[in-house]
Amino acid sequence: MAPFTFLEDIALSDAAFEATGATPSELFQSAAQAVIETLADPRSVAPTWRRVVERQDQDLADLLFEWLSDIVYLKDAEGVVFRTAETVVSQETATGPWRLQGLLMGEPIDPKRHELRADVKAVTKHLYEVRREDRHGKEQWLARVVLDI
Amino acid sequence: MKLNTAMTVNRITDEIWEIPVSEKPGMLVPARIYATEHILTGMDSGVFEQVTNVACLPGIRRYALCMPDGHWGYGFPIGGVAEFDPREGIISPGGVGYDINCGMRLIRTDLTLADVQPKLEALMTELFRTVPAGVGSKGFVRLNRQDFDDMLRKGARWCIERGYGWHEDLQRIEERGCIPGADPAKVSAHAVERGINQLGTLGSGNHYLEVQVVADDRIFARETAAKLGITGRDQIVVMVHCGSRGFGHQVASDSLKIFEKAMKRYGISVKDQQLACAPFRSPEGQDYFSAMNCAANSAFANRQVITHRIREAFARVFARSAEELGMHIVYDVAHNIAKVERYEEGDLVVHRKGSTRAFGPGRPELPELYRETGQPVICGGSMETGSYLLVGTDRAMHETFGSTMHGSGRTMSRAQAKRSVRGDQLQRQMASRGIIVKAVSMSGLAEEAGFAYKNISEVVETVDLAGITKKVAELRPIGNIKG
Repeated sequence: MAPFTFLEDIALSDAAFEATGATPSELFQSAAQAVIETLADPRSVAPTWRRVVERQDQDLADLLFEWLSDIVYLKDAEGVVFRTAETVVSQETATGPWRLQGLLMGEPIDPKRHELRADVKAVTKHLYEVRREDRHGKEQWLARVVLDI
Repeated sequence: MKLNTAMTVNRITDEIWEIPVSEKPGMLVPARIYATEHILTGMDSGVFEQVTNVACLPGIRRYALCMPDGHWGYGFPIGGVAEFDPREGIISPGGVGYDINCGMRLIRTDLTLADVQPKLEALMTELFRTVPAGVGSKGFVRLNRQDFDDMLRKGARWCIERGYGWHEDLQRIEERGCIPGADPAKVSAHAVERGINQLGTLGSGNHYLEVQVVADDRIFARETAAKLGITGRDQIVVMVHCGSRGFGHQVASDSLKIFEKAMKRYGISVKDQQLACAPFRSPEGQDYFSAMNCAANSAFANRQVITHRIREAFARVFARSAEELGMHIVYDVAHNIAKVERYEEGDLVVHRKGSTRAFGPGRPELPELYRETGQPVICGGSMETGSYLLVGTDRAMHETFGSTMHGSGRTMSRAQAKRSVRGDQLQRQMASRGIIVKAVSMSGLAEEAGFAYKNISEVVETVDLAGITKKVAELRPIGNIKG
């Protein structure tokens, strides 16, 4: 299954996607990549700028929401677009908080070189969902996200 | 009549439709949709669901309304209008939208199409160079935190004090470009960091700067048009559509998180998480109102700095000062905002999301200049089809809390539009029809193709027939700058 698919029918004016991963780490990476590709074609962006993002939250869905919101924030605050994201998401105990260690790579926006796409305003809670499924005995994590454009 | 809802929708007039309170548990008032039968049948199911959700919010008065350009949105439908009692009612970021004070500004000129046509390419190139657009674009105004806070308090007035505009500009902006009660202490550091470098930028999506022409035969109310500075005879005007950029987007995102928690404390339940709200008089409600007013003022300032740059660009290309070119602002209106306004019932917290204030003649809030005509209303269509100038009416004051439509509304997804045409193809097609387009993003350009939008003329006819605004002139695009 592709790590993310853009969904057309649920947000006419905006951008929606479903991201997947075999683990929470993969899910967070897939979802980040979907946001990155909404902003600009990552093939046009060099990985010269790096930022480590560390967060924790009791709720995995809230943690993903904040992680994706961080990408939108950094786009404006640092004036960057992104090439890739790497993520490690872990939980030390079954009832403990989820911890995220994320690495974003990209470079300062240069409209002459970067294939810019849409300026994402926000990650929304509209139809927002994070769930785990068992598919043929294998764990699968899915997230549905709508971005306001 | 086949509608995209199973709810009962009663015809009140040919342009007003009502969903009674019996159609959804919890509705406190009926929902009213302004539409012709043709527009109503084309409305997506989200409009009916969302406008009736809004009708359930605490303290709502009279009706939850949706304008004819209505479509699905987050929480409120786009085109949604609702008004709440400030003592027992709520304020909801979902009733304002992420782009706080997204709005329209129209600038007139004394130039004609004959003056501009030979220099149109040079003009569009200069405007594209002068007004930054696109993902994460930065403005030319460098602000420190103190400057930024001052700008949030003063809005467009801050710009005039620094030479980015004329003194007369302020009276031609809703609320004179500065909503009182903006408190920078109520905004997050994240919001400031997102916005501090973006003053004077367009953004992307459906935001644009457009050079337009007013043909003589497209003026519908000549006397009113003249009072608004619109003379026709292929007159050139400039339209700007943008909002509060990253700053406003972050204020909205921050407040939704706070309101989600606050609702539990106040025992409020809503039918959609994006309708998160708090009592208007609560600390959370007042904090959001203060922060939202900061964002509203920043959007007025943003359009003011862009106006300054447009005047500079015209002056360079035509080698005459902006004053000599007659570049007066016609008006500037917000179409994503919540405000306290006075009506027959007293003060109300009016939410307009994808809806424009349309005050009728005689309202004390209007400048002397427009007290007789009613407030100018600017409605943007797609970049291929054109836009409209209208004026508010007394009827709007009684029926829609002085509100009307804001634009044309999408009918096709962004992905489908991109599959239907490439940005460079569309650019060539439009050039062959005499419209020069400069865009930062070619995929973004394709997403904004005219066929992805409703026919704005039909939407305008509806509000004109309903009498909540009267059309004054149609504005045809000849040049467009997109993010």
